[in-house]
Amino acid sequence: MTAGRLGPARYRAGYRAGYRAGYRAGRTSPAWIAAFCLPALVLYGVFVVVPLVTALYYGLFRWEGIRRGEFAGLGNYLEVLTRYPLNQEIPAALWHNVLFFAGTMAIQNTVGLGLAVLLYRNPRGKRFLQTIFSLPYLISPLIVGYVWSLLLSPTFGPINFLLRAAGLESWARPWLGAPDTALPVLVLVNAWQWIGGPMLIFLAALGGIPRELEEAAAMDGASPFRAFWSVRFPLLMPAVGVITVLTFIGCFNLFDLVYALGGSDGGPGGAMDVLGLLYYRTAFEGGTNAIGESSALAIMIFILVFGASAVLERFLRRREVTS
Amino acid sequence: MFRTRRGLLAAAGVLAMALSACAPSAPEGQTSSGTTSEQVTLDVWGWRQEDVAAYEKIFKIYEDAHPGVKVKYVPYKADEYDTILRTGLSDANGPDVAQLRSYGLLQPLVAAKSLVPLDGQVQELAGFPEPVLDGARGERDKRVYGVPFAIQTLHVIYDKALFGKHGLTPPKTWDEMIAAFDKLAAADLVPLATTVTDTWMLPIQQEIFGATTYGGHDYLGRMLAGQAKFTDRPWVDSLTRWKSTSKYWPEQYEGVSYVDAQALFTSGRAAMFPGGVWELAVFGKSNPELELGIFNVPPPPGAAATQTLVPGYVDGSFGVSAKSPDQKAAMDLVRWMASPEFGQAFSTELRQISAVPGVRPQDPLLAQALAAYQADPSPYVTYAYFSGGSPTAWDLASEAFSTFVAGRSGAEDAAEHIQQGVDQWFRPTQ
Repeated sequence: MTAGRLGPARYRAGYRAGYRAGYRAGRTSPAWIAAFCLPALVLYGVFVVVPLVTALYYGLFRWEGIRRGEFAGLGNYLEVLTRYPLNQEIPAALWHNVLFFAGTMAIQNTVGLGLAVLLYRNPRGKRFLQTIFSLPYLISPLIVGYVWSLLLSPTFGPINFLLRAAGLESWARPWLGAPDTALPVLVLVNAWQWIGGPMLIFLAALGGIPRELEEAAAMDGASPFRAFWSVRFPLLMPAVGVITVLTFIGCFNLFDLVYALGGSDGGPGGAMDVLGLLYYRTAFEGGTNAIGESSALAIMIFILVFGASAVLERFLRRREVTS
Repeated sequence: MFRTRRGLLAAAGVLAMALSACAPSAPEGQTSSGTTSEQVTLDVWGWRQEDVAAYEKIFKIYEDAHPGVKVKYVPYKADEYDTILRTGLSDANGPDVAQLRSYGLLQPLVAAKSLVPLDGQVQELAGFPEPVLDGARGERDKRVYGVPFAIQTLHVIYDKALFGKHGLTPPKTWDEMIAAFDKLAAADLVPLATTVTDTWMLPIQQEIFGATTYGGHDYLGRMLAGQAKFTDRPWVDSLTRWKSTSKYWPEQYEGVSYVDAQALFTSGRAAMFPGGVWELAVFGKSNPELELGIFNVPPPPGAAATQTLVPGYVDGSFGVSAKSPDQKAAMDLVRWMASPEFGQAFSTELRQISAVPGVRPQDPLLAQALAAYQADPSPYVTYAYFSGGSPTAWDLASEAFSTFVAGRSGAEDAAEHIQQGVDQWFRPTQ
């Protein structure tokens, strides 16, 4: 399942660069190629294909603790989809994933693009700022989550303290405790951590666009905004595509950050409940048939994420233009 | 969101399951040739890493009385223990005796036939009260699978110094309690250090403030017989009662975590902490200056119970692995765990309330808690009695109360959420 996530992106990123090298590789014997691919294939098989097939298999049985019971066919799938409150939590969690994806696209990736353009235009201090923006990348999402939940604590957190000190008493809120603010805060904290990613990709993509194109647009009298929107942005589409697909997959597999911020219940009244948490609760806080039900749920999430990213990928690829 | 190195969560979960099938390895130093060897080593698995030294002392008593038997306490991380134990019990290299969670969390082990039923084998269990044995019972076959070791009780824990400073004593009536809350609030103190974000604390708070309103064991009895529901007036009212104290909770309580609430109390900014008796040891450690007291919430006007009720439940039990190669020796050990000798040592060394009948804790606060519980016991309904199927009432209650407390739903909706979930599997006893 990681293939669906990394495959197309990596493939395309390395496609043009490796194109010529590919010709020479044509003369290498197939045995050699197989030998070099083997370690990766074995790892992929053991850690991706085997668990996936196991989940599919486990999901077809009822379980008594860790003892496999009778064959259940699609029984577990039906159980997960119909049992209250799971039958309401699944659409709610899915909707939160969608909102989270939309928020992340709107904030993290837009601001990331903005930062990339600014850094591209003003190379002074570029290296330094690039490092600063990407630094949170290196911290585990769990740590990011716990640190931010401390910062946002209404009783001891410095954020509300500063707001009060600045006379903005009414702005001080139980950020992670109120259903209205929990999900937006989650989007922001997540963007804070990962903004370096889209920024770096956009920077690299911007560097690959010939300057003459924009100069020509300027000579034709286009405003800087127009030049960006009509000339540069369309050429960034491959990067936009890669980032969108990766963001989509990341957003739908969200777990550790939201777990650290809101616990396994998904925050106040489940306002931050997402599919990842739902799976966790079914698998590790579930009842006797936890293995069967969680395997069924995992397969459904996989099909959803895999299918949707495949569609997204196709859609975005059609919009690409080349310089 | 932008991650390139992270696998699909589903894969990770399934992977964890696949990997856990290979774990855990046999603890070192185990002799498992039960039949001929004179030296038997019994491995006791548990989730209390902080208690290893105490268990060594306790088991030393047993070893001295039983030459040839060595007992070793092998602790695992508390939040991973359930998963580790499930796989450990499926193998002869696993534990001989295992610390078991109670009520609903015990059921997967019973269903997997990983444990030996103890009724008939451990005569001492006959002296245990039925509600205590309920904590170690299989839901379907009603047999007992463990010797309960600890009882947890729920109270309002208060800061004696702050109470003294404001001329307060533990309240005898509901109105007296509210007056005390008002007095403390007027003095710029947080009367009740409560948490909302850690939702597992919400059903605990509901029992502490609502037990008398719905009526404790009497009401539970009718619920189990199918004559009363979560959605009936007394239980719904207990939610409203509990939430009526919310004006004495910390400012912006929706965002206050469990750790925040503890810190509010131990730092002297809050006067009371509604919680389990296990908090006493935690508070004592983080602020040894703190002088602690406990009381329980007196019945409010119109409550079903006229006396002050003390909620409590069984924390866990010790059971015998069906795969143990030294099952006879393990059974002897578990029998000893049902004796007053073990109970007393357990209570003294671990500062907890032993589940063995007749054992009195040396710690005066624990003794007070136990005496109060024995006089007017009340059940922890959602955790203990409606936890044998999926979804458990406790999970449903944690979710529903979080929405309720945040003001997103009414008490009726919260009760309906629990009832609807439980109705899918709960069958009343005839």
